[in-house]
Amino acid sequence: MATRFFILFTSLIFSNGSFSQSSALILNGILHIGNGETIPSAFISIKNGIISKVGNYLTTSYNKTEWDTIIDAKGKHIYPAFIAPNTTLGLTEIDAVRATRDYREVGFFNPHIRSQIAYNVESKVMSTVLTNGVLICQPTPRGGRVSGSSSVMKLYGWNWQDATILKDDGVHVNWPIVNWKRKEPSKNGLTKKYKQELSELESFFCLALNYSAKKNIDSTDIRLEAMKKCFNGDRRVYFHANEIQQLLDVISFVEKFKIKHPVIVGGYDAPIAGKRLKDAKIPVMIRRTHNLPDMSDDPVDYCFRLPSMLKKHGILFCLENSGDMEAMNARNIPFLAGTTTSYGLTEEEAIEAISLSTCKILGIDKKYGSIEKGKSATFFISDGNALDMRTNNVSTIFVDGKTVSTKNFQFNLYKKYKNKYQNQ
Amino acid sequence: MEKFENKNFKIVLGKIFSLGILFYFHKQIFRMSFKKIIFWWFLFPYLIFGQEIPSNGVQESKHEFVALTNAEIIISPDKKIKSGYILIKGDKIFKVGKKTKFPKGTKIIDCKKAIIMHSFIDPYSDLGLLGKRKTNSHRIENTAYYWNEAIHPEIDASLYYSRDKKNIEKYQKMGYGSISTHIADGIARGTGTLINLSDKNTRSQIEKNKTASYYSLKKGSSKQKYPSSQMGSIALLKQAYFDYYHFIESKKENNISFNHWKDNLDLPQFFKVDNVLELLRAYKIEKLSKAKFIYVGGGDEYNAIDKLKTLNPDIVIPLNYPKGYEISDPYIAKKIPLKKLKQWELAPSNASILKSYGVSFSFTAHGIDKAKSFWKNIRKTIQRGLSEEQMLKALTIEPARQLNLSSLMGSLSPGKYANLCIYKENPFQKETTLLSSWNKGLEKKWDTSPIVEALGEYQININGIGLKIKIKDKKISFSNDSIGEKLSFETKNEDITIRFLLNDSIHSGLYLLHGKIKTNGSIFEGDALLPNGSLLTWNAYRTKEEKKQNKNKPVSDSTKTSHYINLWSPNMAYGHDSLPKAKKMIFKNVTIWTNEKEGKISGSVVIENGKIKSVIKGNKKIPEENAIVINGEGKHLTSGIIDEHSHIAISKGVNESGQAISAEVSIGDVVNSNDINIYRQLAGGVTTSQLLHGSANPIGGQSALIKLKWGYLPEEMLISNAPKFIKFALGENVKQSNWGDANTSRFPQTRMGVEQIYYDAFNRAKNYKEQWAKFNLNKKGIAPRKDLELITLNEILEGKRNITCHSYSQSEINMLMHVADSMQIKINTFTHILEGYKLADKMKTHGAAASTFSDWWAYKYEVNDAIPHNASLLHKQGVLVAINSDDAEMGRRLNQEAAKAIKYGGMTEEDAWKMITLNPAKMLHLDNRMGSIKEGKDADLVLWSNHPLSIKAKAEKTIIDGILFYDIKEQDSLIERNRLERIRILTLMMNEKNIEVIPFTKEESHPFHCNTIGEIELNKENLH
Repeated sequence: MATRFFILFTSLIFSNGSFSQSSALILNGILHIGNGETIPSAFISIKNGIISKVGNYLTTSYNKTEWDTIIDAKGKHIYPAFIAPNTTLGLTEIDAVRATRDYREVGFFNPHIRSQIAYNVESKVMSTVLTNGVLICQPTPRGGRVSGSSSVMKLYGWNWQDATILKDDGVHVNWPIVNWKRKEPSKNGLTKKYKQELSELESFFCLALNYSAKKNIDSTDIRLEAMKKCFNGDRRVYFHANEIQQLLDVISFVEKFKIKHPVIVGGYDAPIAGKRLKDAKIPVMIRRTHNLPDMSDDPVDYCFRLPSMLKKHGILFCLENSGDMEAMNARNIPFLAGTTTSYGLTEEEAIEAISLSTCKILGIDKKYGSIEKGKSATFFISDGNALDMRTNNVSTIFVDGKTVSTKNFQFNLYKKYKNKYQNQ
Repeated sequence: MEKFENKNFKIVLGKIFSLGILFYFHKQIFRMSFKKIIFWWFLFPYLIFGQEIPSNGVQESKHEFVALTNAEIIISPDKKIKSGYILIKGDKIFKVGKKTKFPKGTKIIDCKKAIIMHSFIDPYSDLGLLGKRKTNSHRIENTAYYWNEAIHPEIDASLYYSRDKKNIEKYQKMGYGSISTHIADGIARGTGTLINLSDKNTRSQIEKNKTASYYSLKKGSSKQKYPSSQMGSIALLKQAYFDYYHFIESKKENNISFNHWKDNLDLPQFFKVDNVLELLRAYKIEKLSKAKFIYVGGGDEYNAIDKLKTLNPDIVIPLNYPKGYEISDPYIAKKIPLKKLKQWELAPSNASILKSYGVSFSFTAHGIDKAKSFWKNIRKTIQRGLSEEQMLKALTIEPARQLNLSSLMGSLSPGKYANLCIYKENPFQKETTLLSSWNKGLEKKWDTSPIVEALGEYQININGIGLKIKIKDKKISFSNDSIGEKLSFETKNEDITIRFLLNDSIHSGLYLLHGKIKTNGSIFEGDALLPNGSLLTWNAYRTKEEKKQNKNKPVSDSTKTSHYINLWSPNMAYGHDSLPKAKKMIFKNVTIWTNEKEGKISGSVVIENGKIKSVIKGNKKIPEENAIVINGEGKHLTSGIIDEHSHIAISKGVNESGQAISAEVSIGDVVNSNDINIYRQLAGGVTTSQLLHGSANPIGGQSALIKLKWGYLPEEMLISNAPKFIKFALGENVKQSNWGDANTSRFPQTRMGVEQIYYDAFNRAKNYKEQWAKFNLNKKGIAPRKDLELITLNEILEGKRNITCHSYSQSEINMLMHVADSMQIKINTFTHILEGYKLADKMKTHGAAASTFSDWWAYKYEVNDAIPHNASLLHKQGVLVAINSDDAEMGRRLNQEAAKAIKYGGMTEEDAWKMITLNPAKMLHLDNRMGSIKEGKDADLVLWSNHPLSIKAKAEKTIIDGILFYDIKEQDSLIERNRLERIRILTLMMNEKNIEVIPFTKEESHPFHCNTIGEIELNKENLH
């Protein structure tokens, strides 16, 4: 075992990349499955990138010689991949440098714009996110009314094909804004502009719906082609909406166009629409919880409490972290979840909100999201509680069964200057 | 005096005068033809006494005396005549009394028991001058005006005033007679002009060219970049005063602006502010002005009433109250900030609150768009407890006093202008009719229809037909609907017109009736046009009288309510019911993070009189009399978090970006105590913040060090005798790298230029100091000009002001330390300092501290090498390190941010904790008072639910100076209280009769960051 360990870690140091093995055992760790359950002393086996067995370490027998790698995870925590949905990670490098921004395309209705092919697997930013346990993300185009199609990607791969988990998982709709200052107000608070923008959106969806129903298409419209799968359920439609009026209008919209997999992204007022969202079976990606309340009168901890409020309503939810500096900040997703543990979620519920629930919402939960038999071996080991800044220390990362370096360029710079001072 | 203003007299005088001229120039004149001489002799008086516009037709003769009799006369607020007369001679009041004999030829007007009141006077208006300066901007570069366009005391409103008929009529209907109007633009706005609100032409309306000087804190239409913030406006005005005094003393050069200012400073000085916090800001400038300011307030003076009581300023308050909101939609009703609702509720009580605290004020109608709203607001104000006498005083005597016009107006006493309004009934008590307004003895009659009211049931007799109709509430109806249709009526003065179509088989057709209303509306008589086209007389008599409903009941005492019982501090959601005070408290059985050599201990802490009285290890018994005892079992007590880099609680601009060096501006001038983020940060355990200027310029403005004493005023939040700080900045922000292609011309555009800015600035400062030293040696000659920027820079050179420098990359950090070394000064703190880890050794040698982000990077090119291990590396090299926020949201999670240093670089927990408490206290040179739990230090404490660095930690109690400002236990009840208060006010709004409403629109909130320019963010994609 010791020699195998040696092989594993030397290869990490020298190649600074992944190490592939066909089988591995992770023994005696504290397992957070991702579905709300734990195994205090777990047995996990990986074969060909797939989790072949999950059980109790104390009651499982195994033959050491059958395994390439055996990791003793005693006292350590094992988590399923944390996920950064709705992010510009991989599409941007330095926010202020225009040349590095690849997430906002010109145009207003852009369902045909695809993030998958712009995804930069060598992003330096990505390497700093991966090492905190965030192993999967959903790079998402921004801007316009329909900003484009996102894909679900691993944070590790040789190229974008290699990194893809789910290609073109859904289109993103930025719901019209209801009522801001400087826009002409009206009696019931709905601006003319809102109504107009809403009808524009509806007419676009009408066009797309009609197009999708056509059997013979004379000339291909690539925009409408991209919308086709939204109606038959192959693609999700992500509605970015926060205010109650928007949420209620989304519910009617979904009904009207019979959208099979709608998702609300944001959902600030979702607790008000609680039962209606639940009945409509629309899940919510809760916007960055490390956020100030929208209104000065809202409770100071409103954003921290949003997840537990949705939990009470029985709505399927996960956390997302879009906003200022979202790409770089994706590495703090574990702590977003951690904060909610003081505001109504249990630790396991918080983990679920950034792993299995997210995968359910993204539609990849059959293969990802929890550490269960038959799923992809995409998980990590942390020395301590990964939801707490003090103890999030990722020591091993598996992506589809491959171990990936837990060090990044920032760590290397740290070492470099640490050595400089030590040698002075 | 009176005769002097007689036009004919002027002409006679002119002719006599011209004879003298004739004699003087007789030689030249003899050469003229006789005709020419006669021509000039006639024309001359008109030339020297102003041109008269030729009248069309014969000249009207005027009554010398006019008497208004049989009226209730309110001479002044405290002097009334129940039934009396006013005798007017020319434009002035000649006599007022109960009974007298009028001179022969007096025109007598019977007022029929109407009520006569002095016309109101408005000291603050922009009537006839709206938007004038924009089109009349005269500043051309290199002219002899003041360098900054926002300072233009030379602007004389009388030169721009033109008659605005529509708005004059609005003011007339409000009962106004005189206003002082000015061009509401800029900081030193110039002088206002006194306008009589007559229907005369523009020339005759201008009563006095210069009444008062006007000021504000708004830059206005000036196209210059400076100032771009309110603190810049304050600094500019201060500097302008210094420049002016220097100008007066030195007499070296000419300055047109100052020449005018010299004269204007003797006039009343009105200072327009938007709210009471601005009033307190302007108050601090007053002493520089050497003249008393009269503040034109924002109407929320009640929010700082105790403070105003002690300052006792002279104020003009607005009668323009906030409008109500349309509240048909519960979602919208829920989103209206409580602050706005409370403002709506309390604004009409402002006057009575000020009165009860003895603060003197006048009113302005500025901003009111309809006369009707004006009168409604007047009555509302009286309803809220201001007496009618006080109301009248604030509309007449007080504004006259403020404008130095008391000798001419303010009361209806002999010798003063005959500016008065005649109302049918007392307008302060109920809606009534303005019968006529008199301006300088000239009457304007208002259309006062109907004098007689047609009301009740009538029998109309016309052409042998008898019809029964009913008039009620301005509606007319047949008593039997089948008789006819299209019935309508109109009354005008004493006339009534009625029209209808009859369905009757014999008499069917159109009827048009015109009649006189007689005997108090009980009889109509007149002619009717019949269906056959003939005109026939008709009449009607009342068969049943309808009592007029008195909708406007006089103000009764029962409706006067004390509306300010719900005045919170601050007056918004989460405000305190009453201002909390320091109490004696004991925290027992708690884990104490002392930050002292004892480290983490278990024990008790006693606080009293705002200080930490004792720190006791173990469970020793402590006397608990008169103390609030808090059992801290399982909890942690720490000193309050200190945020070394914050931009919350700042009004109107965090950057003065108009100049590369803005050392003269100070955040301390613009602290906004009503920012909800103060409360939110208390909930995150923050007790002290350094409010820094932004990073738009190499040398920014001065910092404010505040304690987050939510509910207190800015002055009370500022830490007394705090060390002085100033913001410097390096790199991309000051190079304007990310400001778009339009911003490529302000020096500097490179890091090379940034260095030279500092050398130049410090050299200029040194020269300045030498100049003064030379002068101070023998005090001979003229003192050099006082320069606020250079004074501040000298404070830095003398070590009296510390530098906090925004910095990222190692080259620039190195450069600035180098510059500082050459000036023999020290850079106190490098803030952000994301590449600090690359030169920790050099920083240690220089003695600079580092205040950094825990893990931010990748937002611009210069942070590409930023690593989260920065804090740990710096700390290990012995540099004093703090973690700061620069962000209102992160500011309330600084404990989490500090904890990241444990993950990145393996810092110990206690060292990590010090990075947000003791270390920033040391950086701010406040560690003798805060930063640790030690006897004698300020009682700034936080009780945590949990290990304070854990992800589960919540601040449960936040205490500053021994005062409990945040208590997690109170949250639910506060939220409930806010909710009930909202419903209470919304209900009031719903119940208010004839309320004017506007739709609510959500305001975008823009928290400030380092590079926020103006009042909103420049570019979302590139912050800090």
